[in-house]
Amino acid sequence: MYSGKAKDVTLLEDNNVRITFRDSISAFDGVKKEELNEKGRINCKTSVILFELLNRYGFATHYLSQLNDIEMICKNVEIKPVEVVCRNVTAGSFCKRYGVDNGIEFETPIIEFFLKDDDLHDPLVAKEIAIQLGWITKAESTLMESTTRAVNQVLSAIFERISLKLVDFKLEFGSTDEGVLIIADEISADTMRLWEIDTGEIKDKDRYRKDLGGVIDHYKDVLQRLEEIESYPEISIKSTAEITIELKKSVLDPAGEVTLRSLKRKGYQGVEEVRLGKSAKISFSLTPSPNLQEIIKEISDSILSNPLIENYTFDFSSGE
Amino acid sequence: MQVGITKFPGTNNELDVKRVLKSLGIKNELIYPNDVKKMDDMDALILAGGFSYGDYLRPGIIAVQTPIIENLHDYANSERFVIGICNGFQMLCETSLLPGVLSTNTSTKFISKWVSIKTRVTSSPLLKGMANRILRIPIAHFEGRYYDANEEITKLANKNQIAFKYCKDDGEISLEDNPNGSIENIAGIINAKGNVLGMMPHPERASFQYLGSEDGRIIFENLIEELKC
Repeated sequence: MYSGKAKDVTLLEDNNVRITFRDSISAFDGVKKEELNEKGRINCKTSVILFELLNRYGFATHYLSQLNDIEMICKNVEIKPVEVVCRNVTAGSFCKRYGVDNGIEFETPIIEFFLKDDDLHDPLVAKEIAIQLGWITKAESTLMESTTRAVNQVLSAIFERISLKLVDFKLEFGSTDEGVLIIADEISADTMRLWEIDTGEIKDKDRYRKDLGGVIDHYKDVLQRLEEIESYPEISIKSTAEITIELKKSVLDPAGEVTLRSLKRKGYQGVEEVRLGKSAKISFSLTPSPNLQEIIKEISDSILSNPLIENYTFDFSSGE
Repeated sequence: MQVGITKFPGTNNELDVKRVLKSLGIKNELIYPNDVKKMDDMDALILAGGFSYGDYLRPGIIAVQTPIIENLHDYANSERFVIGICNGFQMLCETSLLPGVLSTNTSTKFISKWVSIKTRVTSSPLLKGMANRILRIPIAHFEGRYYDANEEITKLANKNQIAFKYCKDDGEISLEDNPNGSIENIAGIINAKGNVLGMMPHPERASFQYLGSEDGRIIFENLIEELKC
């Protein structure tokens, strides 16, 4: 069905897919590549553990089960052409792009969108561009960003427990046949940067990119530490919806008119129209998900706004 | 025979309605937001006005999330009479038992004054013998501007569902006697079956001579007469 740089995807009869992890490793858009014994098995297991973890914390992911050492069964999704990167600390291409030092910790994690295109070297894309060119919808971009932030919260806490700093990671998303956006692809030392908290030692794919050696040993060590975790921490994931309610254009807004008259009387030039609306901020102790987005729509349609006279828009975010 | 009068936190007209029903010799009960069972024992229900739950989000919207209003669709489907006055009218619209919505008065002021309204239909038993009758009656609201899409208003008019329109003392219907900017001067409407009436003016405040008018009393009298049938 599809063969990528490190994985093969096969469509199964029940419309799920089998993802096979090969021993291949590559970097710099496939320019540098190699076969590393056991890599497929290690990355498969790491992905399985991390996907099971995300499912447990309420995230919507494509992962269903592990089939064998190097294969997992997942929901069939159409992968979005845009991937999301979350950075807690500066590293890699980010430092090159902006000429900043490696290792600067961000106060708030940075979210970036990249176009998945090897020929173009996976360029950074502004959210507005990805939306206007039709790669993702606005609602999808909001869900991708909030989900990635919440995943960061969970993964950072898990890795901290095994003395590793989650420096950055990328997530891929795909939509199911029903059009539901879920986390897809793999989550392993190939898709993130991990540093030993005490020493700063690199435990991820940078070992391969930078020819530091011991790639498999370090991947194995990360996996072994993950396997040894006995209990997972309580993590309170919060999602917040900010809903803005406005009177429809066709509906008279007496309060807006009064405000407009007052602004004009005060001598403010060029003021044309004032429309007064309402806003609501709702916090949930829930993981951001397509389902939660639907719930917010339902609340907005049935209670927060009256569709006869009002329109609403909403923004969605997650944070501690 | 018993008539229920709803009481939500923030409503303040239920005792006025009670007094009118008492004067008509009708047994009545206050119905609180969770009193679904008690509500079902009532032969008719009056949603009294006021400011349910502070009317903060939109008038009536929080009240319609309560068990008794959730039950109101079934209740109205059982052909029993429901009269929504002021905030009660707003609830009936928010819960879609009546079409349209009550929006902020054009003046952006709370309006409390006596007005004249003209009865438009006779198809509902609640408005029996009232064709073209002009009622002197008070209004007291901030969100009384009835609004719906033009085609919906046409439908209402064609089906004789417009119950009352604001008018001059002599019954002439003109824009200058429209206190709140309601589309077509609409002050009250009924549903297609004729058993659900919603109105912004307060008939309970115009039911005794000592209040300055008893024009509103006929609506309660019609209700009682229907219940006796």
